[in-house]
Amino acid sequence: MLLWLIGLAILVVLIFILYYNRFVTLENRIDNSLSQIDVQLRKRADLVPNLIGSVKGYAKHEKGIMDEVTKARKAFMGAKTMQQKVDKGAELQRALGSILAVAENYPQLRANENFLHLQQELAAIEDKVAYARQHYNDSILSYNNLCKKIPGRAFASMYGKSEKKYLEIPQEARAVPKVEF
Amino acid sequence: MERVSFDDQIQRNKIKSIFLIAIIFVFFIVFGYIISMILDPSYFFIIMIVATIFSLIYVVAGYYKSDKIALASVNAKPASRTEHRMLYHAAEGMSIASGLPMPKLYVMEGEEINAFASGRDPNHSVICFTTGALKKLDKQELEGVMAHEMSHIANYDIRFMTLTAVLIGMISIIAQMFLRSLWFSEVGGRNRDGRTQIILIVVGILFAILAPIAAQLVSFAISRKREYVADASGVKFTRYPTGLADALRKIKGEHVQESEKKHRVSKAMAPLFISDPFKRKVQGLFSTHPPVDERIRRLESM
Repeated sequence: MLLWLIGLAILVVLIFILYYNRFVTLENRIDNSLSQIDVQLRKRADLVPNLIGSVKGYAKHEKGIMDEVTKARKAFMGAKTMQQKVDKGAELQRALGSILAVAENYPQLRANENFLHLQQELAAIEDKVAYARQHYNDSILSYNNLCKKIPGRAFASMYGKSEKKYLEIPQEARAVPKVEF
Repeated sequence: MERVSFDDQIQRNKIKSIFLIAIIFVFFIVFGYIISMILDPSYFFIIMIVATIFSLIYVVAGYYKSDKIALASVNAKPASRTEHRMLYHAAEGMSIASGLPMPKLYVMEGEEINAFASGRDPNHSVICFTTGALKKLDKQELEGVMAHEMSHIANYDIRFMTLTAVLIGMISIIAQMFLRSLWFSEVGGRNRDGRTQIILIVVGILFAILAPIAAQLVSFAISRKREYVADASGVKFTRYPTGLADALRKIKGEHVQESEKKHRVSKAMAPLFISDPFKRKVQGLFSTHPPVDERIRRLESM
């Protein structure tokens, strides 16, 4: 009888540990996917000076657009919270989109090796931000499911965990300007 | 389509892997025992010790070095970041989408479109593409195939499939050794010819039994379900079934010279690839991959 009780107690403790660890794992996954978004946004901002440099040589008259991009980059660099970073990052993306569109009018620029390389990099980063966003949403979803479903619900209130709100991450425009060769 | 729990799949793969390691281990011990019976029972202990050490080394090497062995057997080289930029972009995107660590990337020579993943767990994984795949697939298709390989990694298919390849490789090596030893059948010494003969025949029968089991193992290693699961969870990463479907269509449509595909890949490696490198005309009971048409159909209905 005593043995049975001890066994039962051990089982209960194990279940508690298991659920605690699941919460931690899922929370870490959320943090990790957020930091991935951060990394990609930062990478994009880092490419901007380089891009401006190579555009300048061919399209001097487009100063207005270039200023806009520089400004958007500055705003992004100054962002503190994740929500701000994400919003400013989306603005930077829009500004970059217009610079790439304008570049279509300069055949020499479009033939420039460095510019082509940057264009590809930017497209790849755009994809990665989209994937990171998707992973983030998935992670939040499974975390919230755990918080709301039974029996996770009971453990959630015991450990003081509650549902997390989704960050509003603007959808990346995945329609990348096609490069014609 | 049947519902599959990925956690169950992972658990099953881990258990089956342990099982496989045990088989490999026991196999060598039994083999050592038979050899000692043939040669001279007085060597029994020495041979058993050697057999145990050898099987331990083989199992440990198979477990820790399987990815390196697989890569070496197809003569793959590390992919360069500047030359194979698209491959790196696809891998980085998929590793973000799946939340898995970035696998090491390799490239092997070959005109046919193909790819495989290997390793023992997500932290020690490699993905290898043929140069043909890099040339012929566009970005979406490449991502589709990459996602398929990443899900093999996520589901621990790689550990199990690579161990299977190791086991099958071993059986074929021993079968070879045995066949050769038949040529030099003086092994038994002078006046034990009758006994030696009997034991050799027994061993022969043993291999006759083992060979089909090995073939069966190949098919259940890859069991078509595993490929369907990898297709499905790959789509979970890309959210774009058309990419992989297009890639499979390209694979189906290409014609590779018979001589081209023969010498590159050993039979034991076949289950590791995304599409059967031997491209048998008939889909048999023992084929390692499900029919491409059916895979495309399922992808398009998602």
